[in-house]
Amino acid sequence: MKYFEDVELGETTRFGRYEVTREEIVDYARQFDPQPFHLDEEAARASMFGGLIASGWHTGAMFIRMVCDDMVPEAATAGSMGFDDLKWLKPVRPGDVLSVESVVRGKSESRSRPDRGTVKIESRVSNQRGEVVMSLVSLVIYLRRP
Amino acid sequence: MKYWEDFKIGEATALGSCAITEEEMLAFARKYDPQPFHTDPEAARQSIFGGLIASGWHTCALMMRLSVEAARREEAAATGSPGLDSCRWLRPVRPGDVLAGRTEVLETWPAKTRPIGFVRRRVEMVNQRGEVAVAVVGITMYQRRPAATTGLSA
Repeated sequence: MKYFEDVELGETTRFGRYEVTREEIVDYARQFDPQPFHLDEEAARASMFGGLIASGWHTGAMFIRMVCDDMVPEAATAGSMGFDDLKWLKPVRPGDVLSVESVVRGKSESRSRPDRGTVKIESRVSNQRGEVVMSLVSLVIYLRRP
Repeated sequence: MKYWEDFKIGEATALGSCAITEEEMLAFARKYDPQPFHTDPEAARQSIFGGLIASGWHTCALMMRLSVEAARREEAAATGSPGLDSCRWLRPVRPGDVLAGRTEVLETWPAKTRPIGFVRRRVEMVNQRGEVAVAVVGITMYQRRPAATTGLSA
C-alpha cells in the first residue's frame, strides 16, 4: 500500500486507456449536459466545434475512472478535496482513446488531522495523437502510514 | 437572447434544484468513480465518511445540468467553457440530499479575436440544510451581441 510518506515529489505515472464512444458521449450529455454539440451530430456539425464532442465534465468523469482503475487500488487515498486549474484544451470526439500522465507537484501534512495529508497531483489527459485534451491539478487525500 | 454584454458583475442567479437518489449515486459511481465509499453502502458505512457519498464528479455533473437548464431558460448564447480556476468538494453529498444551484458573476472580458466574451463566475451547490456541498470558480464563453444594423432602412 502506498501511503502519504511514500509519495515523492516529481514522481510521474502514465496510465489508462479509455475508448470514447459516440453512444457514451450522447448518454452522458442527455443526463448531465444537454447542449446540442454534445447530443446531436447534425447540430454539432453546424456549431463552432464542427462535430460531436464530449461534455468537458464527461472527460473529467472518464479521467477519474482511469484514476480509479490504475492508481487508487494500491494507494491509501481517502477521496479528494477538489482540484485547481482545470483546462479543457481540445475537443474529445467519438473514437478518441484517452490516457493520463500524472506528476506529483506538492505534499502537505494536515494540521488538524494527523492521520492524513494532501498530495497535489498535476494530470494531463491526452488523446491517441498525443494532444493534451484536459489538464488539472488534483488535491488528493492520502492516509499516513499507521 | 442573452449575450455576453448582458452579464453584469455581481449578478446572482438561482439555478434551480435537484434531488439525488442512492440508485443514481451508485449508477454514476459504478461507471465512473468505483471507490467503495461511492459504490458499496456497507463498505461506505465503515469508511471515514460513515455512509455512502456521491462522487464529487457526479455532484459537478448535476451542477452542470442545472446550469444548462438555467441557461436555456434565460436563452443565454453559451458556447462552452475553457475550464475552471478551482473546485472544492466541501461536504459529502448523501442519498436523499436536495441540491440547489446558485451562481454569481465575478468578472467579464471580451475575446481579442473572436466574436465571443468570457464570464468568470462562482457556482455553488447548497444542500437542504443550507450547507455548501461544492463550490467552483469557472469560466463560461458567450456570443457577443451582433452589431446593430444601423444605416439600413426599409
